[in-house]
Amino acid sequence: MADHVDYDVMRRMWASAAERVRNAKQTLSTLDAATGDGDHGTAMGKVADAITRTMDNHGDKKLASLLADIGWAAMGTDAGSTGPLYGSWFLGMSEQAGDTALDAAEFAGMLEAGVANLQLNTKAKPGDKTMMDALVPATDAIRTAANEGRSIADALNAGAHAAAAGAEATKQMVAAFGRARHIGERSIGHVDPGAASMSLIFAGFTEGFTNA
Amino acid sequence: MAMKKFINDPDELTGELLEGYCGAFPQLVRLESDRIVMRATPKDESKVAIVTLGGAGHEPALSGFVGEGMLDASVVGDIFAAPGPIKVVDALRLLKRDVGILFVVLNHAGDVMSGNMALQMVEKEGIKVKMLLTHEDIAPGADAPAEDRRGLVGCLSIFKVAGAAAEAGKSLDEVYAVAKRLNDNMATLAVALKPATHPQSGQEIFELAEDEMEIGMGQHGEAGTGRSKVMTADETAETMLTQLLLAIKAKADDRLLVMLNGAGATTQMELFVVFRRVMQIVESKGMHIAHSMVGEYLTVQEMGGFQMFVAKLDDELEQLLKAPANAPYWVGR
Repeated sequence: MADHVDYDVMRRMWASAAERVRNAKQTLSTLDAATGDGDHGTAMGKVADAITRTMDNHGDKKLASLLADIGWAAMGTDAGSTGPLYGSWFLGMSEQAGDTALDAAEFAGMLEAGVANLQLNTKAKPGDKTMMDALVPATDAIRTAANEGRSIADALNAGAHAAAAGAEATKQMVAAFGRARHIGERSIGHVDPGAASMSLIFAGFTEGFTNA
Repeated sequence: MAMKKFINDPDELTGELLEGYCGAFPQLVRLESDRIVMRATPKDESKVAIVTLGGAGHEPALSGFVGEGMLDASVVGDIFAAPGPIKVVDALRLLKRDVGILFVVLNHAGDVMSGNMALQMVEKEGIKVKMLLTHEDIAPGADAPAEDRRGLVGCLSIFKVAGAAAEAGKSLDEVYAVAKRLNDNMATLAVALKPATHPQSGQEIFELAEDEMEIGMGQHGEAGTGRSKVMTADETAETMLTQLLLAIKAKADDRLLVMLNGAGATTQMELFVVFRRVMQIVESKGMHIAHSMVGEYLTVQEMGGFQMFVAKLDDELEQLLKAPANAPYWVGR
């Protein structure tokens, strides 16, 4: 198994992530209908398609430009706030991705740059029942694993588990952001669809990496 | 129950509806690229342009209000979903002019995010734009922070006064100032009776018991705050109007704009019955309805319910509101 995330491995990771999201479109929309307007599956499907379409047309084999192109493609989708949020995540990651390959620490650094850029466009933080509840713990788990000197496979696995646990934990939270915030306490008992879709991305990462 | 709608491929829905809409009013509007509705005859570049953005599925809004004396362009996303910032940038570039652009954004997470990103991008190019956020929903409380209050049907009156001020040759700062004055003196409450079906997912966008209604429901089924047993037209009008008049601090002798906006399945008959009571209450308080609109302007598919909108007018706002306009769905006269 690879010890780095290089261009081809990165592509497989995003391909798995996009596939997982596409397969869950209906589930995500159903989750969203409980607290929002029931279109999160449609929105994430557009982001997944932007990922796949960009990879199909991407030529220069550099990590940074792949992520930047995906980011701009996500910005070009009509997916409500999902497009700009994912777009800014990708653009942030592209700034730290470099050209060739990433080890676990560098991969964590890439994710952290993505979170930092995303935070320029949303004030949501963990605990607010949003995508951040999956993204931030997953990023932290990958950073911790890297600091402990574990392999990138281990780190990605830890990230996937943290993302899934983070998404599940949103069930007990009161929404503080997005459309769901308007219902306050009534949002308890429902998993946040944005956290659920983000956890699918991290599940896709580890799957794509393992199969590489 | 399975969804019953006259559509084709759900993924092509927004493109097809815009093609049909622009084709139906070719003398007034045209489609630029696949998602920007523009005036058929552009406004002179010496005048401030008015641009908005928003999801589709709310027809005739928002693109129904593109036309002389109102919007210069509406950037359309997908059903109930904001357009991405890149399309907004395209529209702002097309309308770039020395006198500037007023960019009206309804307060919804996606719209605001796309709007802000687009603004950052075009400001780097030196395009002069001022953004005005509408947030007149008083469901979370009239004193709630602006970011918690959604932009509802009140945007139409903003398009109208801003559009008229722009046609009159006012500067961007002046156009912004009149629009903001109206923005600060208006309020909307929505009430829902029956859910709508999302035409792409086929799912109902919210649930409501047979004998219930909900005051404060957003225009995408976002839950409101006041669920109750269904009330009569008069009771509903009283409950909503009392809160709205308080929110705009209306007093005797004030001149009001009142709009009842059907959500899609509520009949014109019902809207007139509600309006009758609104009229009585306004008169009993010694206020005057300077301008009224009763109809379907910003719908939510086949949702049952309506939005009640009131605004306090001064002489200038009233004059701008009544100035001539020629957009396909502006029926104020």
